[in-house]
Amino acid sequence: MSWNNYNEERWAKWDEPAIKAALEAGGAEYISTDAGSSTEQQLTDIENLISQGADALIVLAQDAEAVLPGVQSALEQGIPVIAYDRLIEDPGALYITFDNVEVGRLQAEAVYAQVPKGNYVFIKGNAADANSDFLRGGQEEVLADAIASGDIVNVGESYTDNWDPAVAQTNMEQFLTENNNDVQAVVASNDGMAGGVVAALEAQGLAGQVAVSGQDGDLAALNRVALGTQTVSVWKDARELGTAAGEAAVALAQGTALADIAGVVQFDSPGGNSMTSILLTPIAITPDNLDVVVDAGWISQEELCQGVKPGTVAACG
Amino acid sequence: MAETKVSAAEPLPEAQAPERDEHEARSIRSALRSAEIDARLAGMLAALAIIWVVFQTITPGHTFMTPRNLWNLSVQTSVVAIMATGMVLIIVTRNIDLSVGAVMAAVGMVMAVVQHDWLPEWLGFDHPLTWVVAVIVGLVLGAAIGAFQGAIVAYVGVPAFIVTLGGYLVWRGVAWWIASGQTIAPMDTLFRRLGGGAEGTIGGTWSWIVGIAACVGIVLLQVMRRRRRARYGFRLRPMWAEIVLGVVACGAVLLAIWYLNRYYLPPGLVEQRGAAPGTNISLGLAIPVLIALGVMIVMTFIANRRRFGRYVYGIGGNPEAAELAGIKTKRTIVKTFTLMGLLVGLAAAVQIARLNAAVSSLGVGMELNVIAAAVIGGTSFTGGIGTVSGAVLGALVMQSLVSGMVLMGIEAPLQDIVVGIVLVLAVTLDTIIRRRSAK
Amino acid sequence: MSQQMGPPLVELQDIRVAFGGVHAVDGVTVDLLAGEVVGLVGGNGAGKTTLIKTLSGAHPADSGTILIDGEPVTITSPRDAKALGVETIYQTLALADNVDAPANVFLGRELTTRFGNLDDDAMEDATRKLMNRLNPKFLNFVVPVQSLSGGQRQSVAIARAVHFNARILIMDEPTAALGPAETKQVRDLIKQLRHEGIGIFLISHDIHDVFDLSDRISVMLQGKLVGTVNKDDVTVDEVLAMIILGKLPEEVTQKDLAELH
Repeated sequence: MSWNNYNEERWAKWDEPAIKAALEAGGAEYISTDAGSSTEQQLTDIENLISQGADALIVLAQDAEAVLPGVQSALEQGIPVIAYDRLIEDPGALYITFDNVEVGRLQAEAVYAQVPKGNYVFIKGNAADANSDFLRGGQEEVLADAIASGDIVNVGESYTDNWDPAVAQTNMEQFLTENNNDVQAVVASNDGMAGGVVAALEAQGLAGQVAVSGQDGDLAALNRVALGTQTVSVWKDARELGTAAGEAAVALAQGTALADIAGVVQFDSPGGNSMTSILLTPIAITPDNLDVVVDAGWISQEELCQGVKPGTVAACG
Repeated sequence: MAETKVSAAEPLPEAQAPERDEHEARSIRSALRSAEIDARLAGMLAALAIIWVVFQTITPGHTFMTPRNLWNLSVQTSVVAIMATGMVLIIVTRNIDLSVGAVMAAVGMVMAVVQHDWLPEWLGFDHPLTWVVAVIVGLVLGAAIGAFQGAIVAYVGVPAFIVTLGGYLVWRGVAWWIASGQTIAPMDTLFRRLGGGAEGTIGGTWSWIVGIAACVGIVLLQVMRRRRRARYGFRLRPMWAEIVLGVVACGAVLLAIWYLNRYYLPPGLVEQRGAAPGTNISLGLAIPVLIALGVMIVMTFIANRRRFGRYVYGIGGNPEAAELAGIKTKRTIVKTFTLMGLLVGLAAAVQIARLNAAVSSLGVGMELNVIAAAVIGGTSFTGGIGTVSGAVLGALVMQSLVSGMVLMGIEAPLQDIVVGIVLVLAVTLDTIIRRRSAK
Repeated sequence: MSQQMGPPLVELQDIRVAFGGVHAVDGVTVDLLAGEVVGLVGGNGAGKTTLIKTLSGAHPADSGTILIDGEPVTITSPRDAKALGVETIYQTLALADNVDAPANVFLGRELTTRFGNLDDDAMEDATRKLMNRLNPKFLNFVVPVQSLSGGQRQSVAIARAVHFNARILIMDEPTAALGPAETKQVRDLIKQLRHEGIGIFLISHDIHDVFDLSDRISVMLQGKLVGTVNKDDVTVDEVLAMIILGKLPEEVTQKDLAELH
């Protein structure tokens, strides 16, 4: 397994244990490297893993294009490659991800349901990350008609360096200033940034009055959904992703052909490649279905309901 | 320059009267010099003013110089400003600290865990002392890390670049490890006020009190300085210059306070405070801004009026000369790093309070912003040159650029290009001017 | 030359300093009386600067004894030396270019107010008074010394050495970078200080300066002392022979003298 940057909450907590469990169930062994956000380092890591005798490679790519030499080299040596969560522009790899465009759609749908008319701000992810544009594309699909008809007005949009919550907070403050607080909805692309957005809204006394989206099912974000300051967090059970990747890795290593892996579809990448993919379905978590995450063991009811007034949220009693 | 014959017989009687310098041609330079104002500082203030006016003109809603935006700007600048003051001393002594962002993350995570998980167990939720303990822990930890890195630099002799590069990696990993990469949120209610926001200001009345106290302080300093210099018979600033300086400085302070006070509490929060709807409640000075200003004053004092500061500049100017003069250079270097660590701890507190969360990716890239602020403010990598107030101004210039560009809807990558160009331009200008005046 | 009763002001006995296998100073003994100037001369690598550094504290001796007023002393750092009344003017001047003259004069020994803060005004005042005595044309007390001329920088270094009631002064090539007028000033100063009873070790490559100012001359060659002579008893050529050939005046032949020219 080649991680691009282990330094995020979900990898160690959810993805890795699921991958390992699936691999062990299939009788395989798990070795991994961490590229610390460096594309060069990831190429070196892949070479190392190959020389250590990897039979299948799961790659969480730092950069979809820059990782290609490593991936191509592995494929040439007969080692199957799985592109994990992030796209790799090589049709020879199996792309397993949550449908990121679908994530965007779910985010926009939840926000649109709350705010069918009004001023919208879009807080996007890192400019160099392909996912940022997938998400934005999905959001646009859902909102396009309303924007065209003038019901929704785009009053602010920006990429956020490094998906950094602090940068998102500063940008949100500026957007609020520019529009004199006349903002009714913020489509934020992930939970970390949603946290920054909510902090900026709180300073203006607007938290809870402006719809905010996010993704990842961050514990702090789910708490915000329960409190009412965040409208939706699109949850991707990373364990599902890990399990799918682990199982596919075992199957591929045993010789199954790409097209024969269970549940694959063809997906057209931005780079014009037709990727064999497994697209898992994300779930939009709103105040109405918070019990889903509690029941799945993702978050404890205590953590979810910290500070929530009794009787306001079903899942908190 | 021909010199008169020095009598080798007995020492001449002691001179009394202040000497007279030659009158130079009238120019802005000579006026500044006779008023004894640092020309560089004046230049930076002018540049800042130009940037502000330009943004005010070209942003779509002309919102740049509204009280609200300037209030936000002041808060957005504080974190970098706090750390930049410490970075000046480090760069002056010909060292560097690349670990600032990573240490911020590690210390921030610890402070978050302390107030989110540990203290509530002992003291219960929302105890009034929680924030005090958390901040103290952060300051001590930051200082300890700084001292540790400084000791390796000074006593073992490993170059600061390497030591802090190691720190850049190590402390980032530690930050992740503290909570397994989880986000820790929210922060303690009182602690949050350190980060600004609607609750994190001192309010209109107190802001005026601070402003007036500052004014009185400025005038007092001028008077005391004049008295001291007159006692020795030194040349004094012309009275007109003193008065102008006093009026301008005082005026600027009071104008700033007045402007910040015109940023009112958002209507939605007015009722929460228990006031009648529609009342204008001034926010005034934000707490992080007060902290940053306090840090600036203290650091300027240390740099100019304490022996430690003199040693820092001595070492920066000529490390050998400092050794030969009997200065304990190693100890001084360790102190600069310890001080830097302390300031990083303080900045981390402000940052997580502002964000109301601690993430292990806190402060990524922060070291570059801090170094850039110091450098734009006039600190030179050759050593020995740089001012604390310049660094704070440098931070303000950079943040003004960034915030202004967001208002204009300029995309992030483009913002980076602009900031990079400004950084290089500022240093180039500085180098040229310095070269010209050295001739 | 002054008459001296009692022990010499400074005695450096059997000083040895080695860098790795190289004996920079190999068992050298010299002394200095109060009110006397001893010129320390020798070619490049003779070891004069290294010898004098053992006295100034910049580089302690590996072995040997230093006596001041007949009492053995330990000098391990510049602070020790200064505490004993030894001040040094280095060849490089050892000034911090980015701070002004008063800051340099008091570097490491700053005057403070009763709160422990720097008393810049007192330091400026003391420096002005000092400069008035040494170099009345010196006017720039608030600019960094980097902007000053060579002679003015020299004045600052001298002022620093003179101000703290030194009894023993070490001057390493004091006139090397100066013009004629400034050189004369330094030489007048040396005479004046000698008159005041200060002992001076003068390192110089200018043999005429040495002859003009010194009372005695100690010659070193490759770490060893060739000999110490009274200035009045020798000629320039004889001293040159000591420096270049390592031969005492008694041993020098006509042929040697011819070779020198």
